[in-house]
Amino acid sequence: MTTVHHDTEPAQPVDVHDPKMTRFDIVKEGLRRDEIEIITYESQFQGRDSKAEKRVVRNIALLFMLSGLAALVFLAAYIWWPWRFELGETMSDFYTPILGISLGVSLFALGFAILAWAKKLLPHEVSIQARHDGASPSDEQLITGQTALFVGDELAGGVQRRPLLKGAIGLAAAPLGIVAAAPLIGGLIENPHKGSPPPLFSTGFNPVHNNGQPVRLAREDGTPIRPEDISTGGQATVFPGIPHGATNEFADSPTLLIHLRADDAEETRRNAEADRRNAGSMYGDYVAYSKICTHAGCPASLYEQQTNRLLCPCHQSQFLITRNAQPVFGPASRRLPMLPLGVDDEGYFVAKSDFKDTVGPDFWERP
Amino acid sequence: MKRRKVDLAQAPVAVARGTDERFQAATPLRALLNKVFPDHWSFLLGEIALFSFIVLLLTGVFLTLFFDPSMKEVAYDGPYSALRGTEMSAAYESSLRLSFEVRGGLFMRQMHHWAALLFMASIVVHMARIFFTGAYRKPREINWVIGIILFLLGFFAGFTGYSLPDDGLSGTGLRIASAIMLSFPIIGTWLSAAVFGGEFPGHLIIGRFYIAHVLLIPGGLLALISIHLALVFKQKHTQWPGPMRTNTNVVGERMFPRYALKQGGFFMACFGTIALLAGLFQINPIWLFGPYRASEVSSASQPDWYVMFMDGLVRLMPNWQIYIGNYSIPPLFWPAGVGLGVIFTLPLLWPWLESRKSGDKRIHNLLERPRDNPERVGIGAMAFTFFLVATISGANDVIADKFHISLNAMTWAGRIGLIVGPPLMYWVAVRICLGLQQHDREVLAHGVETGIIRRLPNGQFVEVHQPLGPVDDHGHPEPLEYGGWVVPKKMNRVGALAPAIKGFFFPVEKPAEAPVSPGMPPVSGKDREEIGSGR
Amino acid sequence: MTSDTPAKRRLRVFSRGRKAPSRARRRFGAAVRMLAALALAGGIYTAFAPGAFAEDNRQLSAAALEGKQLFDNSCISCHGRDAQGVDDKGPSLIGVGAASVEFQVGTGRMPMVRQEAQAEQKKPQFDETQTKQLAQYIQELGGGPQIPQGELVENLESNPEALARGGELFRVNCTSCHGFGGGGGALSSGKFAPALHDATPEQIYAAMLTGPQNMPVFGDNQLTPDEKREIITYITLQLQQDRDPGGLFNLGRYGPSTEGVAVFLVGITLLVFTALWIAGKS
Repeated sequence: MTTVHHDTEPAQPVDVHDPKMTRFDIVKEGLRRDEIEIITYESQFQGRDSKAEKRVVRNIALLFMLSGLAALVFLAAYIWWPWRFELGETMSDFYTPILGISLGVSLFALGFAILAWAKKLLPHEVSIQARHDGASPSDEQLITGQTALFVGDELAGGVQRRPLLKGAIGLAAAPLGIVAAAPLIGGLIENPHKGSPPPLFSTGFNPVHNNGQPVRLAREDGTPIRPEDISTGGQATVFPGIPHGATNEFADSPTLLIHLRADDAEETRRNAEADRRNAGSMYGDYVAYSKICTHAGCPASLYEQQTNRLLCPCHQSQFLITRNAQPVFGPASRRLPMLPLGVDDEGYFVAKSDFKDTVGPDFWERP
Repeated sequence: MKRRKVDLAQAPVAVARGTDERFQAATPLRALLNKVFPDHWSFLLGEIALFSFIVLLLTGVFLTLFFDPSMKEVAYDGPYSALRGTEMSAAYESSLRLSFEVRGGLFMRQMHHWAALLFMASIVVHMARIFFTGAYRKPREINWVIGIILFLLGFFAGFTGYSLPDDGLSGTGLRIASAIMLSFPIIGTWLSAAVFGGEFPGHLIIGRFYIAHVLLIPGGLLALISIHLALVFKQKHTQWPGPMRTNTNVVGERMFPRYALKQGGFFMACFGTIALLAGLFQINPIWLFGPYRASEVSSASQPDWYVMFMDGLVRLMPNWQIYIGNYSIPPLFWPAGVGLGVIFTLPLLWPWLESRKSGDKRIHNLLERPRDNPERVGIGAMAFTFFLVATISGANDVIADKFHISLNAMTWAGRIGLIVGPPLMYWVAVRICLGLQQHDREVLAHGVETGIIRRLPNGQFVEVHQPLGPVDDHGHPEPLEYGGWVVPKKMNRVGALAPAIKGFFFPVEKPAEAPVSPGMPPVSGKDREEIGSGR
Repeated sequence: MTSDTPAKRRLRVFSRGRKAPSRARRRFGAAVRMLAALALAGGIYTAFAPGAFAEDNRQLSAAALEGKQLFDNSCISCHGRDAQGVDDKGPSLIGVGAASVEFQVGTGRMPMVRQEAQAEQKKPQFDETQTKQLAQYIQELGGGPQIPQGELVENLESNPEALARGGELFRVNCTSCHGFGGGGGALSSGKFAPALHDATPEQIYAAMLTGPQNMPVFGDNQLTPDEKREIITYITLQLQQDRDPGGLFNLGRYGPSTEGVAVFLVGITLLVFTALWIAGKS
């Protein structure tokens, strides 16, 4: 270990080819050229093979061995531990933990071995390097600036003098620039309003999907649902009873069908009848609201059967069922659309028409 | 032909010479080997992000080998019995397969997810360090801007990755993303239709997010991280003020051997931490969430933590809808559209805003202790309080449920906290800074409290102070200038104990010998004397 | 017959508080004593006017008679004589069925300590036999839904698809409130859906059948008994008994919020301390 102490004399250039130079002298010459001054560079131990050094070396060796050992555990577990998922409390549940812990311990031990080596065994060092920031010398700035202007003159000035070229470049550049952007923009643009019925304003309950006949309400497995299937104080998620009605193809269609208690139903009906669009939409004590929150589109389906509130779990908007599902708390600003309910000849629920309000999160051009 | 004997000992020399003949590498390589880096624990926070990113690349490549970014409906038929026979997208099915049917696949997936969380967490912590120490000042404004863009890219990388498995939770997130796009005035519906290829959810979004997640965004991250590091190299790292440290030098260790070794060790520690997290804590159990269905949702539906501030702002927004004729702007637009824009634009401009206000156009290579710039600390405290309240509000339903608080009360607390909290924390932070400054000045003027009480002849008790600099004829310390350095507050720090206690938060090169103030010569071991009662 | 009720009630009310009873508590205690006095008066009245009730009692089975005894001791002050209900205090229990009693009493939700947003689960006050007796009494009083006899958890050996079907039904009907992991969730204004971690099959079945508190009712027409059993199979086998394969700790399965806390408390903390050690003086 070489011990260096701060010398006040600035270092002088030396001849590195001089055979008398030691390796450290040559290193110092390199440092001088990089404007580095070593203030301190000394062993952290007193004398060679001191007790303290031996202890540190022992610890580092131990860490390396721990790392290797943990890596072996990882490999052994990776190969032989049962890893296929099984239900219940099984050996395989510990596969990922064993991999994680063994790899973690292995890497951590390796890291600490390296760190301890760098920190404890390598000589303690304080170096100072000069830094140069700020602008380049003024003549350099001037030269580069003038060169740039010169180039500009040659190109731009040349075009200025030759009007034909100017026009031609303009004619070429503009279309070519658009060509670069066109495929991306053109390929991605989709008219959100195309289609009949317009997808933004219709759901799977639109009779179009059922040859003009009212669409039945169906469970997630497609079976239709009757009034007596829902107990008082109960609710069911229903979908349009059409092919793929319960899939994400009709992501705006999920609806919450609620069987209210008689007195709550009375109040709900009173409020619904007073509303232009919701009038006549209830069937007996049953009411159906779109499950898609008018705020951000999550299913607002946390139905509290005593307080008659619907809560959306994403942003905590709360809707009061008895009052046309008006929002009463949270960020939602628009009520949940009500599905006009009816019952067909066979006694199954149908949607008399599509939702009369726009379903789903709000947007600019919603009427 | 006579075969020449190969001298193995000379082989490295020959290779080195050959390399240099072709690339002239000797001089730049020496400069690299010799480059001096300052040493401080807080300079390692950004490294965590770098190392997490490397882990993300490694584990991410593994995951792509098994993931199928398709929304085609398939029926699951794997070992996870609770989903057998369930219709799901191929993306979700392949995510389940790589979790349960690929040896170590679940571990890799969890490592990837934890590394992503750690990446974003370390970016925020690193950014806080940069901000509170003023490291973004000239000449490093551009690197600050790159850092903010890195956070933004990480935000989108995280969100796209969260969406890829197409499980019940991520589908809900996608639905909200679509609603946010819809909320933009005028272009909303067109924007959503362009991104999703028609109405939500369509059949394209996973494929599009996949290419963004594995190519476009990581490409941007990689490029910007390279520039970020190159600029740190070119402009040299900032350093704390202290003995020998000036605005025109760097005091520290050379890159080789010690500094690089420490970096390598720290990389292993980061890697190990991520592996430990992945083994100890289950993350994102997609098999419980089921495939995404527009009708299904779970209580406590949240985005990952670095998106939670946005979700929190959305939750706290009052239901103000603005009507303009037949058109309207939904309340979702303000927190998610405008809010996100402002939250990223303001920090982007901050270095110039500050220098414009202070009129300071000088180059700063020395960091500022937070206490020396109370206004900056106050503004930082405001920003972080805002971020924190918004993030906590993003989980307000979980907090309400687990701590038995009313959900509505949590929302109101968040709304009030978002407005009252930041100014309050500004005031608190400024007061704390001023108090710390005051204490520094007191110690410089009177010396360190020794804890020794002396009784004066008139019966009065006074505490003996150890002056940090020279004393005048009456034994009173001469006032010292504050130099922006750490001022020792305890006798241990000025070498009252032998051996001195090791530096912990602030590394002390040589605590027993380092000059403790500009005007004081170094104290060596032999002229250190025990502090007595003075008698 | 009612003479020990006030003392018991008072004990129950006050034993929960650590400090001396507050003014509200004292007032509440006074109200309880008042009620007890009224109940006592009612009891005396019953003793002197045995007419109508004697006939009812004759129809009750032995177990139900025991149940009636318990009811008259502990439930009558809120639910009224013969479970007819008391305005603004407790609903009528006519027609709620044995399932409802077994759920409410078996999970300790009833008797309630005080009127609040939602009855909390606590240590049951009645043992299993007493609960059954109470349930029997209410059942014989007004009928209503009952928990069926027999095994409520499907046998996966003979019916391997029950688990996946149960999961599907669970996600459609239950997760919105109870969460994907069954950890429960918040509802409006302090109400909540409880965690399902220690719910027994009987309790889950009864809850679906009767819709306690704010939970919607899932009658047998909506979810058939088989479907209910499938849901219970999923909850018990998958959510309660299956160990999480992804780690030693599942962070409560609360999703990204606890994961975010963990990355700071464990990840960042561990690495910051490592950084402190690296840069600290050796």
